[in-house]
Amino acid sequence: MKPISEKPILEIEALTKYYGKGANRTMALDGITLQVMPGEFLGIMGSSGSGKSTLLNCIATVIHPDGGRITVEGIDLQKLRGGELAGYRGTKIGYLFQNFELLDNLTGRENILLPLSIHNIPEAEGEKRMGELAAWLEIQDVLHKFPSQMSGGQKQRVAAARALVLKPGMVLADEPTGALDSKNARLLMEKLAGLNRQERAAVLMVTHDPNAASYCRRILFIRDGKIFHELRRDVPEETRKEFYGRILKVTAQLGGGSANVLTVG
Amino acid sequence: MFLRLVRRNSKRSRRENGLFFASLLVSIIAFYIILSLSHQDVMLFLQKMESNAVSRLMQMIPLFYGVTLFLLFFLIYYAGKFQMERRRHEFGVYLMMGMRRSRVLAMLLAEDFHGSILALVIGLPVAVLLSELVSLITARLVGLGIVGHRFTFSPGAVLWTVAGFLLIKFFAFFLLSVRIAGQEIGALLTQGAERECRRYPAFVYTCALIPGIFCLGMAYTMGIQGISWERPESMGITVTTGLLGMFLFFFGLRGVMGFLARHGKIGRLQVFHFRQLQEIVIRRSGMLAVSCILILAALCCFGAGVGIAGFYAGEEEHVLDYTFWGYEQGADEMLEILAEEGLESCFSELFEVKTGHIRSEEENGEAYRMDAVMEALEELPESEEKEILLNNLSYAVYPGLISLSGYNRILKIAGSEPLALQEDEAAVYMDHESVVGGREELIDRVLEEEPQVWMDGNPVRLKGKVQTASLITDRAVRYSFALILPDASFDYYTRGVYSSYLNGVLSREIVEDKGLMQAVSEINERMEGVERIWQSESYLGNMGRKLFFMVAASYITMYLSLIFFVIANTAIGVQFLMAQQKSARRYRTLAYLGAGYEQLCHSAAKQIHWYFGIPVMVAVISSFFGIRALFTGLLPSRTQEGAGEMMWVSAAMILLLLVIEWIYITAVKRISARYLLTLMTPKREE
Repeated sequence: MKPISEKPILEIEALTKYYGKGANRTMALDGITLQVMPGEFLGIMGSSGSGKSTLLNCIATVIHPDGGRITVEGIDLQKLRGGELAGYRGTKIGYLFQNFELLDNLTGRENILLPLSIHNIPEAEGEKRMGELAAWLEIQDVLHKFPSQMSGGQKQRVAAARALVLKPGMVLADEPTGALDSKNARLLMEKLAGLNRQERAAVLMVTHDPNAASYCRRILFIRDGKIFHELRRDVPEETRKEFYGRILKVTAQLGGGSANVLTVG
Repeated sequence: MFLRLVRRNSKRSRRENGLFFASLLVSIIAFYIILSLSHQDVMLFLQKMESNAVSRLMQMIPLFYGVTLFLLFFLIYYAGKFQMERRRHEFGVYLMMGMRRSRVLAMLLAEDFHGSILALVIGLPVAVLLSELVSLITARLVGLGIVGHRFTFSPGAVLWTVAGFLLIKFFAFFLLSVRIAGQEIGALLTQGAERECRRYPAFVYTCALIPGIFCLGMAYTMGIQGISWERPESMGITVTTGLLGMFLFFFGLRGVMGFLARHGKIGRLQVFHFRQLQEIVIRRSGMLAVSCILILAALCCFGAGVGIAGFYAGEEEHVLDYTFWGYEQGADEMLEILAEEGLESCFSELFEVKTGHIRSEEENGEAYRMDAVMEALEELPESEEKEILLNNLSYAVYPGLISLSGYNRILKIAGSEPLALQEDEAAVYMDHESVVGGREELIDRVLEEEPQVWMDGNPVRLKGKVQTASLITDRAVRYSFALILPDASFDYYTRGVYSSYLNGVLSREIVEDKGLMQAVSEINERMEGVERIWQSESYLGNMGRKLFFMVAASYITMYLSLIFFVIANTAIGVQFLMAQQKSARRYRTLAYLGAGYEQLCHSAAKQIHWYFGIPVMVAVISSFFGIRALFTGLLPSRTQEGAGEMMWVSAAMILLLLVIEWIYITAVKRISARYLLTLMTPKREE
């Protein structure tokens, strides 16, 4: 764990977000407060419609919250405008999607270097970084291929390289293993956890998958827009398998996902 | 409920896709204008003067109508396809909710009908007004004046416009709805990504690009050098190589786009622009080639049409209204006949112009020599025009002669200073076409020295500047080189053998009262009754022939060019917007990666510039060759020397069309920006 004196990279205070108006109003986020420390691997779990993705999208600044405050590295996101906001999105955070969202008409290499192009950073500056990431993520062979020529796992690892190429302080991952088979999901999570340890980039991962979640250090469970429970893994005492067991137990109580069919004593 | 839905959907479609609605209006206007051609002032006038030529043109109208119908069908089909693609998801939802396919189709048909009726209600009055405006402007431009203009409304044209418009509209609707109706609900609900297009190695594209450029070059050369016009086979070869070149060129462009994407390092999102462009070029290289050919056709039609029309129109100043001449009769007899018929009072001026040729006493003697002129000309700085003049003047051994009194009357009516010549003096006369391209200045420089020439062995001094006023209303009397002589000298050198022309200017009161067109028509009618013992030619009658060329050249070419232009641009614009919609996910991803709205718009605008720019640039470059080739092939050889000037007129016209192109591009950019804005808010996918 990090020293207590370290400042959180992300602070969320009383965040609220509504969808719809009047009688049709749905509370997607209902006063969520949380903190994420640099280099932390945080999982967010919850059933469909619980507000996980809304929370992630609020942090990614693609939707505006209706109330509360989000501070990233001491910057209040609500005060960012135009170019600052776009700059924040590309350089302070990286985003990993469930469906990879690689641009299918760009090669792997071009996809990874895309954030540099968006933020007007000379490509040469990113070449070395891309080489390191590609080596770690084992995607050197597919850099010159188009997404249609890659497997699902390769696509997601290319997407991970893209999310990390600008060395963001925090990676937001929205169901990154959702479209992968179990083997590729495990490989991705191992690589992601490794990067999280090496680079000390915080990872905020929304997931339904207890297996993927078991790579996290801490998991927040959300229900009806509120934090319902929190789990912390005791490293190094607690193994990943044991942590996985605890996750299953909570998900069963949440009453969502595959945990419904499992009864944990 | 059903009707309200239809009305709302129709309104939304118009708002979302102004491009489609605008293309409907353009179709209606195009139909009406071509169909109401026979009601235009110029045409009504021409019908009196040149009825044969006009009726031939009118016989061609159904053909133009058919061609327009055919071309506009594609415009409506493409624009409609875009509209349908936009609403795929919505149709899927209707079907999911249990709406029967037939009901969805009925709703679409009702929406289509609603839109069509609205387009007709707006388009027809605009078309009628525009047609009137065109009629007035052409009448004014060709100098008919607007006196006697009547508002014309052609019910037949309206009927055929409505029929043609509805026909292509419903046919396009039928084809599009069959496509949609045949799809599964699942396919409608998901935004279908386009199927992967086969990519070839770079050398395949290079192998297409190089022969493509070669073929285009060959076609241009054949066109400009006039080889194409020699035989039908040569024309066939030119057209085939041109078309082949165009398709190969655009196929090869795929490789260029890929290269730019890989190696270009300028500006933000460079790789993204070029990959997007490469993809769209790969999928649509054929369509781009067709659009390019259409724009090329539009530019050639417009440029050459206006150039040729301008050449005929701007040729001479209008001074004389009528010229009479006879086989046997002298001017006095012709005057007597006019007086007998009571026509004399219609003219404010009636005067004789005599023309003849120099005749030598001895059959083989030297009638005329102008060594001093040729020598002075030789000394001028080298130029192409000088060479042409030297060549032309070397043949002037029996120059035409013109009587000074008649010529001075022409100058007086035109408001110019009359010439004053002594017995042993002469002025040089050359017609308009012989002094184009700066030759007039060259001759004037030679004449400044008042060179001495020899006529039938007598010295004569050339005085004043070169004269170019038309001698009669017709083109029948033209001199590439002639001399204006005092009447006594004229009689002496022609030995009394000359032609006599009686020129007339209509009295101002009659023209002001009825308008030139009306006045000439009335006099012509009265002349019909007169036994035709002489030939007469009115300025307007002569102009009628020229007008016919102008109308044939400008009206039809401009009309066709506009149709080609609109179709090509709509096709390009719609293709781009459709491709953009298919790339919606990519734009969303870019937004997640930190690209702002302005940056996305900037990127889209860049793609639009390139996507429109490539075919337009190729077309513009090709059009200069194309127009030159048209001038070479279509204009009589005697006017070839004016082709350079006409090229400038054409270039100006091309520039004008490019302004319209710019407006089009701006419109597409706006639609694209509006669409991108809708992508900036994330969709809930849970």
